[in-house]
Amino acid sequence: MAFLSLDGIVKRYGDHTVVDGVGFRAEKGEFIVFVGPSGCGKSTLLRMIAGLEEITAGTLAIDGREVTHVEPAARQVAMVFQSYALYPHMSVFENMAFGLQMAKMPADEIRRRVEEAAAILQIGPLLQRKPRQLSGGQRQRVAIGRAIVRHPKLFLFDEPLSNLDAELRTQMRIEIARLHQKLGVTMVYVTHDQIEAMTLADRIVVLRAGRIEQVGTPSELYDAPVNTFVAGFIGSPRMNFLPATVAEAAEDRLTLTHPSFVDGRLVAAPRRGGARVGARGGARVGDRVTVGLRPEHLALDGAAPSLRLRAEMTENLGGSTQIYARPADGEALSILTPGRPAVAAGDELPVRVAPEQIYLFDGAGLAI
Amino acid sequence: MTGRSARLLHALGLLVTLSFTLFPFYWMVSSSLKEQAALLASPPVWLFRPTLANYAEIFADQKVSGAILNSLIVVCTTTFLAVCLGTPAAYALARFEFRGKRDLWFWFISNRMISPIVLALPVYLLALQVNLLDTHLVLILIYLTFNLPIVIWICTDQFRSIPRDLEQAARLEGADQFTIFRRIYLPLGVPGIAVSAIFSFIFSWNELLYALVLTRRQVQTAPVVATSFMSGYELPWGKIMATGTVIVLPVTLFALAVSRHMVRGLTMGATK
Repeated sequence: MAFLSLDGIVKRYGDHTVVDGVGFRAEKGEFIVFVGPSGCGKSTLLRMIAGLEEITAGTLAIDGREVTHVEPAARQVAMVFQSYALYPHMSVFENMAFGLQMAKMPADEIRRRVEEAAAILQIGPLLQRKPRQLSGGQRQRVAIGRAIVRHPKLFLFDEPLSNLDAELRTQMRIEIARLHQKLGVTMVYVTHDQIEAMTLADRIVVLRAGRIEQVGTPSELYDAPVNTFVAGFIGSPRMNFLPATVAEAAEDRLTLTHPSFVDGRLVAAPRRGGARVGARGGARVGDRVTVGLRPEHLALDGAAPSLRLRAEMTENLGGSTQIYARPADGEALSILTPGRPAVAAGDELPVRVAPEQIYLFDGAGLAI
Repeated sequence: MTGRSARLLHALGLLVTLSFTLFPFYWMVSSSLKEQAALLASPPVWLFRPTLANYAEIFADQKVSGAILNSLIVVCTTTFLAVCLGTPAAYALARFEFRGKRDLWFWFISNRMISPIVLALPVYLLALQVNLLDTHLVLILIYLTFNLPIVIWICTDQFRSIPRDLEQAARLEGADQFTIFRRIYLPLGVPGIAVSAIFSFIFSWNELLYALVLTRRQVQTAPVVATSFMSGYELPWGKIMATGTVIVLPVTLFALAVSRHMVRGLTMGATK
């Protein structure tokens, strides 16, 4: 029996459908990340699990109990809000104790639990301060501490790191991952940041326009995205897309044509863990396909190039360089290459990609 | 214009405004310390030997001390009730959707739009019918109708500015609606509640029309007694001014004590 299960969850505001039949299951102790562009319904979905939004249709169960229409407090979930939602007039201690007081817990047990959580999060010395006397990172810890003390069955995080600066965000991300290991509780985390999703998740749920596009481990989503949307969303920098035509379809190989390919042709082989390629994947000669190339899979190589591009701009990232280069027609592709190759705008770039690192999508954008 | 002369002009403007607003106050206090002869002197006397005779006289008069006690009873009860009844209503208006909310909201405000004198006679007749004339209760009831809208109005605005996330976090932690109101909205709404209490207090304390119409002897409030000295052929300015000073004093002290909240409350929502 799954620990958290969503079945056909729908949320409608009047005629407007925000979440449209979402269903998936999570096991106990899993770290699930909802990811998607803004307005995809990920926060609404999280708030429905919390009980802060009514579920229009479908069923929700937590730990084997159906809670579709159960009051938020009775669901035994804790949530960390994007705004932290700390009570400004209460001290850190009072903020963390509030939920326990509501549960009518004895004072010494409250104190013990708050101090325990404060020790885990290293905020012991801050207990008597007010939220306004804390830095962003400290507030974040208090918000997490407030969730921990209640020993909830399920932790919900609603874009908890989006108000922090980049350095702190990385640090808190690691702390949340560590906390998950330590507590071993089920966590559901909402973010639009795919790096957070990739680094934190056991499994990622990619949402678009209120529907699930794909559910899988970070590696599955990276290696075998089901469509161009997921392929473009997971991975940074974003995957490049090029239109091409199938020229030959062998059993496990496809030969594609596009003017930017060297000699006009490019051979694609099955990818590790990826979808089937070739005739077994259903592609036929003459099919229009979309070729997906990850910037980190493109290498500058004059010896055996697969594509010829014209450099437009380079960005020095220190240890690596991101090059924007244009094919004979269409939009510029990005190339992520280690070191600092000497590339000037207008240079012709020979670019190599391994046949098993080519992603292919059909005319409808679905993976082949 | 240089910064220096701009500051000078600014200070000058402030000085003019200040003398304009404070002069009546000064005149009242100084007149209360003059003897009748000095009061009626023309041109006015600026230097005089102050006397407390007027104060001795009004405090000896049981009418004045009784009136101040009446005022305190009516005003404190009104303010207390207005805050107790107004804040839950404001919470409901700020945070819940229900049928007729907009109409209700407008009705609260419209209570303040009507000129009090229009209602004076009907209210008098009503009070006469139900035998409430010359009681504290009738004044408290009528002041409540005027003060509740202020409290509700200011507090609704204040409560709306409290982030919804706080309420939702509390709901997740098991707080019921009333606990959320008491533990989150009331403490965070203090600036607005304080301002509305001040307004309610000052309005009721200064109110003359209804106090004049609805009271006889028993529950005359301080403003009524002050005007009652103007009777017959005599105008005892010294006594009137002394009473006026005594009336104004508590409100002034009260306002000074809470002025910090007042400024914050009045500019509330301005920088949202």
